[in-house]
Amino acid sequence: MRWYASFIYFVLYLPIAIIVIYSFNAGRYAMDWQGFSIQWYFKAFANPFAMNSLKISLTVGLWTAFLATIIGTLAAIGLERMRGWLRQVFDGLIYIAIMVPGVVIGIATLIAFVTVFKAVNPALAHMFGEHAPKLHMGLPTIIGAHVLFNLAVVILIIRSRLAGMDKSLIEASGDLYATPFGTFRQVVLPLLAPAILAGFLLSFTFSFEDFIIAFFVAGPNSTLPIYIFSSIRRGITPEINAIGTVVLVVSLTLLISAQFLLRGNARRPAGGARA
Amino acid sequence: MTIAAASSRRTTTALLVGPAAIFFVLLLILPLVVVVIYSFGERAPAGGYAPAFTFANYADLASRGKAFLNTLTLAPLGTLLCVVIAYPLAYFLALKASERWRTLLLVLVIVPFWTSQLLRIYAWLLILGHKGIPSFLALIGFDDVRLINTPFAVLVGMVYGYLPLMVFPIYVSLEKLDRRLLEASADLGASPWRTLWQVTLPLSLPGIATGSLLVFILLMGEFIIPAFLGGGKVFFIGNALVDLFLQSRNWPLGAAVSLGLVAIMLVTIVIYMRFVLGRGGDRRVALM
Amino acid sequence: MSKFDDTSMTSRRFMQELRRYQKGSVSRRHFLGVTGLGLATAVLGAAVPGLKPRPAFAAEDLGDTLNFTTWPNYFAQSNLDDFTKKTGVNINVSVFGSNEEMLAKLQAGGTGWDVFVPTNYTISTYKGLGLIEPLDLKRLPEFDASSQDPRFVGPGTVDGTIYAVPKDWGTTGYVINSDKVKGEMTTWKQFWDRTRGDLSGRVMVHDYQLTTIGNALKYFGYSFNSIDPKELADAEKLLIDSKPHLFGINSDYQPSMRNGDAWMSVCWTGDASQLHRDIPAMQYVIGREGGEIWTDFYAIPKDAPHRNAAYAFVNYMLTPEVNAKEILAHGYPSTDAKTNALLPKTVLEDPILYPAKDLLANLEFGAAATLTNPMRAEIMNRFKSA
Repeated sequence: MRWYASFIYFVLYLPIAIIVIYSFNAGRYAMDWQGFSIQWYFKAFANPFAMNSLKISLTVGLWTAFLATIIGTLAAIGLERMRGWLRQVFDGLIYIAIMVPGVVIGIATLIAFVTVFKAVNPALAHMFGEHAPKLHMGLPTIIGAHVLFNLAVVILIIRSRLAGMDKSLIEASGDLYATPFGTFRQVVLPLLAPAILAGFLLSFTFSFEDFIIAFFVAGPNSTLPIYIFSSIRRGITPEINAIGTVVLVVSLTLLISAQFLLRGNARRPAGGARA
Repeated sequence: MTIAAASSRRTTTALLVGPAAIFFVLLLILPLVVVVIYSFGERAPAGGYAPAFTFANYADLASRGKAFLNTLTLAPLGTLLCVVIAYPLAYFLALKASERWRTLLLVLVIVPFWTSQLLRIYAWLLILGHKGIPSFLALIGFDDVRLINTPFAVLVGMVYGYLPLMVFPIYVSLEKLDRRLLEASADLGASPWRTLWQVTLPLSLPGIATGSLLVFILLMGEFIIPAFLGGGKVFFIGNALVDLFLQSRNWPLGAAVSLGLVAIMLVTIVIYMRFVLGRGGDRRVALM
Repeated sequence: MSKFDDTSMTSRRFMQELRRYQKGSVSRRHFLGVTGLGLATAVLGAAVPGLKPRPAFAAEDLGDTLNFTTWPNYFAQSNLDDFTKKTGVNINVSVFGSNEEMLAKLQAGGTGWDVFVPTNYTISTYKGLGLIEPLDLKRLPEFDASSQDPRFVGPGTVDGTIYAVPKDWGTTGYVINSDKVKGEMTTWKQFWDRTRGDLSGRVMVHDYQLTTIGNALKYFGYSFNSIDPKELADAEKLLIDSKPHLFGINSDYQPSMRNGDAWMSVCWTGDASQLHRDIPAMQYVIGREGGEIWTDFYAIPKDAPHRNAAYAFVNYMLTPEVNAKEILAHGYPSTDAKTNALLPKTVLEDPILYPAKDLLANLEFGAAATLTNPMRAEIMNRFKSA
């Protein structure tokens, strides 16, 4: 068993090792080791397009995570209170959003936006003349498309957490004269906290890593995956390896520090509702 | 509840659900409606969409049969391979690994996910290309082995790319397993294999179901892995779609193919869920 | 350029230094120092601010970014770096493998491209779709129509207005790794027959309808640009029969040729030059039945966000000295006599860049109809999906 696990880990990390090792390659071409060098890290940081796409990925990721988490949590709570056909429609929509492949969502969003913009822009030009706002693909479209998918994920996560929650706690809070909002703030929210955090992290990860949806709806902007993709087409240099390694190291650091923080929190009792 | 309280409750609910509803309408329903409309249209002279109402595009779906076939054989195969490879690892982590190492090992499974998938697939391009594994094979006498641009390469890429996603749900359900059941089974004289087959596997089925559903959905829509590791020879529906929109510029046909893909996935998933989760009731598939 | 009548150095030496400065062989500092202009203008500049010498390109604000869309292995990075050094404009390069992909992106809108490289047969369509704008030749002083080869300049002009200026020209044939591919190869018939024969699994074609379908048509002796349904059907059958024997369908075939995965590929002139230069066993073949001769142009899309930088860049790339460096780096022949004058004889006599007249005679320029013909697009997609 142990051999098997070790083998799996080896295969899992072989490509990563290749990426990291060749980021230190003095030569330009992969598989052609020409000595050790950290020049590519400097080149990557000096490359305005690489840094810009990193910035855009972070911006889009954070916006997506915030919007998806907030809107999703509220929606999940609201959905719990709904019954009947409307609820079923929503459930259906959530599953559709999860099930439709990214490539279809990307394409559908692209052609929908292009059609709408083609229709709306002349009207805007007519109304406002010279300085009419011109709608086009850009950061809002990427964020919008990402939020949609992650919304569904967040709703599912929160909902399963809500389903597993002890309803008697809410009743007890009501019996103790707490307002509905107070109950929400002091009972429900803390209990939901891990799920909300999980939703946030997941949304950020999906958005940061996403290539296929952004590929279609990014317009002139370039997220990091788009930049990497076009670099591979251009002829990859170890700059890309350097960027990949940096992202890896940063996320590892975040993960480890999150681990320490959570361990610190775990000492305290969960919930915290004191009579 | 009083009428006033009821309507204020409805308002709150509406406010809670409203923003999400707007997103769904604007960014899911609207695009899908546009796709449906386009699928009945015609290709504009230089490419794009020209308004029309024709079923010609749906009739033409069969011409992409091979791409559908590729996807429908390799995606389930990839999912199956993923389950088979992930299960022992998840088993090891949940039931055999010592407490101390468990968290670390778990984290090590997900860390690869934190590097760009594009880069990891590109690394496989190097490993499977002429200067990678084939050059090792040539040393021991197997000349001219071609690994890249084959269904094999695409499978390797898929299993590799989604292994972590499969390991986690299986791990979660194995971890919840009551060890005493396993002990009891052993006490009653069952061999380890029998215990695995009749106790562990059935109890971890929810995890397997979740993982394979997730991976299957993602694999059906794959584009990058066949593009890089298939070199244009192994075409998935995802690739056909990207080509239809970004090269052939046949938007109506692309829209029809998209809907075809969604329809196939819907059917497969419904069948799968009926089969795996048993008859009757609507079991919600929890993602975590 | 400012010309100061300074008698402390000969006018001939001045012109020499000026030319060296223009070519980039010496820095501005050297130029100003050696000609005494530095001190002179510093003094004068203090007195008359308007006379201070300006850097060659800073007549207007160019911004700091240029989005340049081109083909694989198609420029000299050193030229781009020089441009950045001279103007402070960072160049963001996107690479595409076919005109159809570029058209699709432009049609979808919002590309953000400033300069791109269309091939001769696409320009009339771009103009018809309103995707490119007429070029203001006053901003392209380096473009001299009289020194351009007339065979190649034509397609850039639509209805009398110039929409694109020539970059270079070339041919489409195929490249073979003669270490692995034995025997003499001279025709497309051999290409397609051997693909399905002894070279199975080692051949690449472009992900590009014009050359892939076109050269399949050549197998039968049909026109490279045919849109006749029967001929296209024959070509499609050949393609689908060949597909299992292909190594890959990719317009960026150099990596696979270099690392030995592929032994033969449909190929453009410059890639053959680059491959042959590094690996002499790489041979370029132009099929006797015919094939494609083409010209690539620089064009500026409508709504280019950095139009000033776009003009400055195109003008820079058309400068004979810079263009000569380009040709030496990417190995495609130039359309411009002034550039050719700066190239060494070995380049001008290279059979890859300048094929024999009898081979050139059978080549056809791509036709606009192939870009918009739905059948050709459909066949290409069907071929890839097969």
